[in-house]
Amino acid sequence: MVWSWFIVLLATLPCLWVADLLTDALAGTNLILFVSGAAIVAPCRRLKRWQAVLFAACVGFLFEARRPIPAGTLPFLLAGLSIFLTSNRILLRNTPLVLRGALICNTLACTAWFTAAGLRAGAVTAGDLGEFTLQLLLQVGLAAAVALLVFVPLALIQDAAMDRTGLPPALESP
Amino acid sequence: MDKHRQGATASYVVLALCAVAWVVLPAAVHRFAQEAFAEFQAPALHLAGKARDLARFWELKSRDKEELLAASRDLARANAALELQLRRYDDVRKENVRLREMLRYAPPPEYLTVVARIAVRDSSTWWQRVVIRKGSDDGVRAGCPVIFSDRVIGKVAVAHHTTSEVDLITSPNFRCTGFLEGDDQNRIVLVTGAPGRGLAAGRARVSAIPQDYFYPAVGGAPKVMTTGLGGVYPAGLVLGHLEGSQRATQDGNFRESSLAPTRDLFSLQEVTVLVPKYPTPGEILLEDQAQKRLDELR
Repeated sequence: MVWSWFIVLLATLPCLWVADLLTDALAGTNLILFVSGAAIVAPCRRLKRWQAVLFAACVGFLFEARRPIPAGTLPFLLAGLSIFLTSNRILLRNTPLVLRGALICNTLACTAWFTAAGLRAGAVTAGDLGEFTLQLLLQVGLAAAVALLVFVPLALIQDAAMDRTGLPPALESP
Repeated sequence: MDKHRQGATASYVVLALCAVAWVVLPAAVHRFAQEAFAEFQAPALHLAGKARDLARFWELKSRDKEELLAASRDLARANAALELQLRRYDDVRKENVRLREMLRYAPPPEYLTVVARIAVRDSSTWWQRVVIRKGSDDGVRAGCPVIFSDRVIGKVAVAHHTTSEVDLITSPNFRCTGFLEGDDQNRIVLVTGAPGRGLAAGRARVSAIPQDYFYPAVGGAPKVMTTGLGGVYPAGLVLGHLEGSQRATQDGNFRESSLAPTRDLFSLQEVTVLVPKYPTPGEILLEDQAQKRLDELR
């Protein structure tokens, strides 16, 4: 189905908004509850490559839309990751591997937007590298923990949406 | 299998070409994409804000009647006192206008006030923002000052149709000039937001503090107030107060210190946006530049 990616995106939106609301609750701690990287992994098991790319780019744009991150950083990174995942579906053949994929994708994407936003703010200087690394570790650590905690329910919602659109289930040995 | 690999390689090539095209494309395209996705999310933000208001409504509704009666009595008294003050200020305002006319002194910028509820807060090391439920449809423009009572909260960074993003004074993008309380010479200091450190609440930085400035020992930490220069913020608004010890700058000519906001910026429920009645000098300059660019294109 041509519009499967869009239906999966609509199913993912409430989860992204819940993450935004939890970020609101964390305001004052300088931390963002980031799940966009983990959100692209489950759809990459079943969507066609072009659909997965569109889905990943939209997830990236949704995160970037209200934040001062250099335009296009996250969408293009997530699109690249989705091409990699759809080309190597064997890496996502069972639940532990998918969970590992979500963890890696979320931490990679988090590192990318954090660094890009820091460079854009002009606040990353040689003298502040230690401080930058500490903040990055805090943010990436949270992103990794969130990916582990949130991925299973998120993937269940996305899988249910993909079942509804009539997409074939992911193969155990693609 | 080979076909599959070729497909993947082709996808990477197309993605790289798209990325290059994206970089080359004019900023207007980036802005359009960002705006489209922000507008797509706006209803959800409104919903989140309204849900919070509803929860607050039911919380207030559960209050005791006697408590409400006491609050309303206190409010009536405060209103009576404020009405008297308002009349006095009206006389002062008229006199001020008359004196300005006599001296042919340029009137201070006038503002329309737009009260806005906060929809969602967003804070990271590199930005400290709140999203308010008023946007360009309500007259809010980018660059408008945002206040709460007589305190500066920040300024509008981006105005969408029904929502706006506000950069708080602790955000690294924030810049403003200020006067220090107790400085009779009214020397100007610079207030800038600073990147967040650890899990601590955001702080701003006050630089260019004169070496011979000493704040009064009584009355707590000195306030930093807006100067009114630059035409963005009206003069006399409180930016915050100096916090901690003052450090000498590298060149040794000035000192710098931290600025603590006068209240927790992330606990605010409502703010006021000051919309200039007439375009600010910055807006006029930008309009002129845009017009010139359009003329060049033609």
